[in-house]
This record gives sequence, structure tokens and C-alpha cells, in this order.
Amino acid sequence: MLDNFLTGTATLFGDPFTVGIFIFGVIGGMLFGAIPGVSMLTLAAILLPFTADLSPSQGVMLFAVIYCTGTYGGAITAILFNIPGAPENAPTAFDGYPMTQKGMAGKAVGAAVLCSAVGGVASAIVMMSATEPLAQWAIMNIGPPEIFALVFFGLAVASSVGGRTIWKGWLSVLLGLLIATIGQDPVGGINRFNFGFSDLAAGIAFVPAILGFFAVSEIFVQAEKKVSGNYSAPKFSVDFPTFFELWAHKIAVIRSILVGFFCGILPGIGATLAAFMGYGEAVRWSKNKSDFGKGKLEGVISSETANNAATGAAMIPLLALGLPGGALTAMMVAVFQMHDLEPGPLVFYNSPDLIWIVFAGMFYANLSILFIGLLETKTILYLLKIPFQFLAPMILMLASIGAYISRGLVLDVIVMFAAGVIGFLLRRSGYSIPGIVLGLILGKIGEQNFAQGMQMVHYDLGTYFSRPICTILIIAGVLTLVKSLHSAFFAKHVES
Amino acid sequence: MGNLKNSDLVEIVFWLLIAVIFFSVSFNFNQPIEIYKFGATGWPRVILALIGLAALGNLYHSFKNGSKTQKGRVGASEAPDQVYYSSLTDYLKTAWILVIPLLYAISLKPVGFYFGTPFFIALVMLAWGERRVKFILLSTLFIYALLIILFMFILNAPLPQGNVSPFYDFSAFMLKMKTQFDQLF
Repeated sequence: MLDNFLTGTATLFGDPFTVGIFIFGVIGGMLFGAIPGVSMLTLAAILLPFTADLSPSQGVMLFAVIYCTGTYGGAITAILFNIPGAPENAPTAFDGYPMTQKGMAGKAVGAAVLCSAVGGVASAIVMMSATEPLAQWAIMNIGPPEIFALVFFGLAVASSVGGRTIWKGWLSVLLGLLIATIGQDPVGGINRFNFGFSDLAAGIAFVPAILGFFAVSEIFVQAEKKVSGNYSAPKFSVDFPTFFELWAHKIAVIRSILVGFFCGILPGIGATLAAFMGYGEAVRWSKNKSDFGKGKLEGVISSETANNAATGAAMIPLLALGLPGGALTAMMVAVFQMHDLEPGPLVFYNSPDLIWIVFAGMFYANLSILFIGLLETKTILYLLKIPFQFLAPMILMLASIGAYISRGLVLDVIVMFAAGVIGFLLRRSGYSIPGIVLGLILGKIGEQNFAQGMQMVHYDLGTYFSRPICTILIIAGVLTLVKSLHSAFFAKHVES
Repeated sequence: MGNLKNSDLVEIVFWLLIAVIFFSVSFNFNQPIEIYKFGATGWPRVILALIGLAALGNLYHSFKNGSKTQKGRVGASEAPDQVYYSSLTDYLKTAWILVIPLLYAISLKPVGFYFGTPFFIALVMLAWGERRVKFILLSTLFIYALLIILFMFILNAPLPQGNVSPFYDFSAFMLKMKTQFDQLF
């Protein structure tokens, strides 16, 4: 492994043009992740056509680097403005934004930098040392029933965070699942709920919906506060967390690395569910559960460690099985296909150079988060000093361009603003925006794997539950549900 | 009526309407799939049934507890603080803030990005309560120039050009300028 890694490093840094692409990916991912309104997906969508002029290894490495640094960059906007740069940063906002409101933005961003780097580097090391055996294990043990079971468990966890009550949590997740059914059904390709619009046959695209629910709705919330005289600018601070503050959360970091890696390795699941599960587990094991959501450092640490730990793991199903774990890894498949390559087991034998330059690129990109992240953090915190009446149109414009660019459809911009209005109204009523987005992302994956699983077991539930991983995950999901239902009927309530 | 408020009734009507409308539309694609027993409607109908159940649960919760937050809900503070409107003007101002972006999005196809954007930026600032004319003009110019430089000149991103004259002609003029700029280097 070490020889291959050193060879990959030498190839990466031996060619000035490849180094330039690496640096561009690191800085581009961080910037696009950290600018409210656009995300790493916007940058990736713009860059996709240009990768045809690069070599396959340079193209895939560029996207892998953007994936690592963009996942971290999205935490900045989640913490400073309550606008997650990507869905995987949504749980970061639960505690990150309250920390900003309390004047602790520097601590939250500092923790995000360090934990993103730690999670990402740990994940890259495991990925490099164990991609092939882990891929083999996944092939043998993970099938559609297990993936559906994990989606079920993930949705059960998501419904228990965000939203003023469990019912509102569930309605949010179910709305996301319903939106995901728009477009062709994943088994027979039959058009559903397109209401006569041919553009809806392809379904509601993730990028505009996510931008609308997260970025646009937050702008509307702030605008309403401004109009009604309730607006207060976020507090500025550059105090970083101390070493001891971070060391006190070492168990949370280790737990989130494990959770993140497990979620990332499963095809189609990716970093979003990893972040929710990392956060959910932190709440589950905490002695002070009620502090979460009010500005607890552990919330930021758990979410950011888990989502970056998933980035390395998400490359395993992509490279070993050819199955993307999210929107950005799906674009990587497109990069492969542009060069007449197919990701899958044969890539390891036919293109080892490509594999190891990508692994080396991801490892160094995660290290860069630590150094460049700490350097840029103090500068980025000054975003809080920009008046929001200037920042708001800027964010809305960037979001409009981001929504339009991914498919070149004006409909996507309309969908984004409509999602913004719906998100604004639902947030006012205490519904959970991250719940809607997670339902939207996991809906199609869940349905597809449920259908395939049912076909596999010939609709026999006994066979379905004879698979241990599947059974454990389903039971965990049911227990989460029962517990939340119990608290819905018997928990005390506080004035909102 | 317990602790129910009008807004709770609006919520239940909203969710049940969604469930009923989508359920009735689902008959449009209620075709069997040979390889899949539950067909194209199975999954969405289960979701709709669960929406109905959760909406009833939500109504029951509001009946018993009003709009109180369930204790121990993590991340519930992401819901915005209660905002009170003192007059009809405040409602209209908020409605205006919500409508401007939708109008801009709908106008993108006929008007295009290049012509419509400066007006949109200025309108958003006005809607936000900004009244300093110099600030609005300079900020609009700055944001517009930044977007054009980043997306048009550096990233070469394709942006909507509009399909109605003279807006389309304006987009063509901008693109021609960009081509001439490229030829300089």
C-alpha cells in the first residue's frame, strides 16, 4: 500500500499541471462550499465539460478533491448563516448557527476545520488500505434489503431531529419522500405526478430543491425579521476552540468516523446520511441531550467528522462497484464515461495509476483542509460583517445561477424559488427543512432498493428478515420510531 | 376545540389536501409492472397514507398541547422565532419579498439573465428596506459585475439569454463583447 501511495504522490506532485489542478480543486471546493448560495455541486457542474480535455486520472482526482474540500466548505455557511452549503452540512447548522448567534462562530468554524480534516484523513487512510477487502465484504453482505433498511433507519433518525414535534418531523420527511416520487418510477419507468409538465418527467432535481429549501428560505426568514423589526446581525468572533475543548470530544470524533465510514461505504447512501447519523448518535450517547440544538460544540464536531469520514468511504463503492454514493460521485461516473472508462472492479487492474493518484489527491486534500482552512477561517468570519441587505441579493443570484447551471432549465430556478417559499412557510410552522431534504435525497434510493429487495426475496418477509444486517437496522429504526412516538404522547412540552 | 388555533386547522387541511390530490392523480399512472407486484403506485400511496396519519397525529398534538414545542426535540430552534406583524403593510412587505424572486424566475425565459438581473438585485434591496439610492446603485453594479466576470468571463457558464426582443438582443450584445474580449488574448 505504501509503495502505491508514494507512487501516487510522485505522480500527483511530479507534474506541474496536475499540481495546478489539485490546488484549483482544493481552493475551488473550499470557496464554492463556503460561498452562500452556491456549492461544490455548482462548481462540479460547471467543470464537467472541461474534464474531457484532462486525462482520466486528472479529471477524477479533481472531482475527488472538490468532494473533500467542498464537504468541509459547506460547514462555514451552515455555521455563519444557517445555510448549509450541501445537505451533508445540514446537521452542522443545528448547533453551529446557535453558536454564531451566541458569538461563538470562531469556535464552531475552528472545530469544523479540525474535525473535517481528522475525519477525512482517517477515512482516506482506511480507504487506501482496505478498499478491495471492504468492497468484497460489501459485495457479499450488502444488497438492496440492507440498503433499504439503512435508509429506513436513517429516515427514522432524521425525523427525530429538527421540527417542533415528532409529527412535524415525520411530516417533513414524508413531504421529502413524496417530492422524490415525482418523475419516473425506478422500476417500470412510468411517469408519476408530472401534472402535464414534460420537464418534470426527469423528476425534481436535487440542486435547485436543496438551494431553495436551505438558502432561499433562510433569506426569506431573515428578510421577514428585517421587515418586522426583529432582525439582529450575527455576532462576530474569532475565538478558536482550545486543544482541551476538542480533546474532550475525542470519543465523539471516533464514533463519528466509524458511523461516517459505514454510511459512506454503502452504495447510494453517501455523506448526507452519515452526517445525520453521526449527529443522531452523538445525541443518543450524550448525558446532556437537551443541550443539543442550542449551540453545543459536540453537535458540530459529530456532524462534520462524520460527513468527511464518508467522503473517502464513498469512493469504495464508486471505484470498486461503479455505484455512486451521491450527486458529486455520480458526476465522477460521468468523468469516467467521458474517457470511455467504466468504474468497477476492473479499474483496479486496468488503471492502478488512476486509483492511486485519486487516493493520494484525497489524502492531501484532507490535510490541506487543516492548513488552508485554519488560514482562511479568520478571513471568512469577516463575512459576518457584510450587511445582509447586500449579502441577500448576492446569495439569491448565486443560488439562481447554481440552480440553472446543473441542467440548463429555467424551470429549475422556478422550482428553487418555489421551494424557498414553501420552506419559509413550513419553517414558520416548526417543520424541519433538513428532514425534507433527507427524504428527498433518500426517497428514490429507498424505493428502488425496496423494490429490488422484494423481488430478490420473492415478497417473502421471512427471507427478508433472515439477513442479519437488514434485521438489525430495521429493528433499530423501529425502536427509534417507537421511542419517538412514546415521547410524542408522554413527553412534557415547553412554550415555543 | 381544546388548544386548537386557526393555523392548526389550516395545517391539517393543507396536508389532507396534498394527500387527496396526489392520491387521485395516482390513478393516472396506476398501471401494473410485470416484474414488480406493487406497481408504480404502491410506494407513493403508502407515503400518502402515512402523511394522512401523521397529519392526524399533528392535529391531536395541537389539540392537546397547542403550539408548544415537544421537550427534547433536537434542532427545533432552527424554526424561526415568532414574528409579529403590526399592520397590513408588514404582511404586504413580506409577500413582496416572497413574490419578487418568483417573478424574476418566471421572467428569465423571455427576458434572460443579462438584462433582468440588475433590476432584480435592486428590487431585492428595496424590498429589504434599503433606501439609500447611492448604496443600491453601487451595490447592484458591483454584484452584477462580479457575477458577469466570474460566470461569463472566467467560468464560461451558459446563462439564460431570453427569447424576446430587445432583451435577447441585449444578451447577444453581451456575448459578442465577451467573444471580442476573448479574441484580445
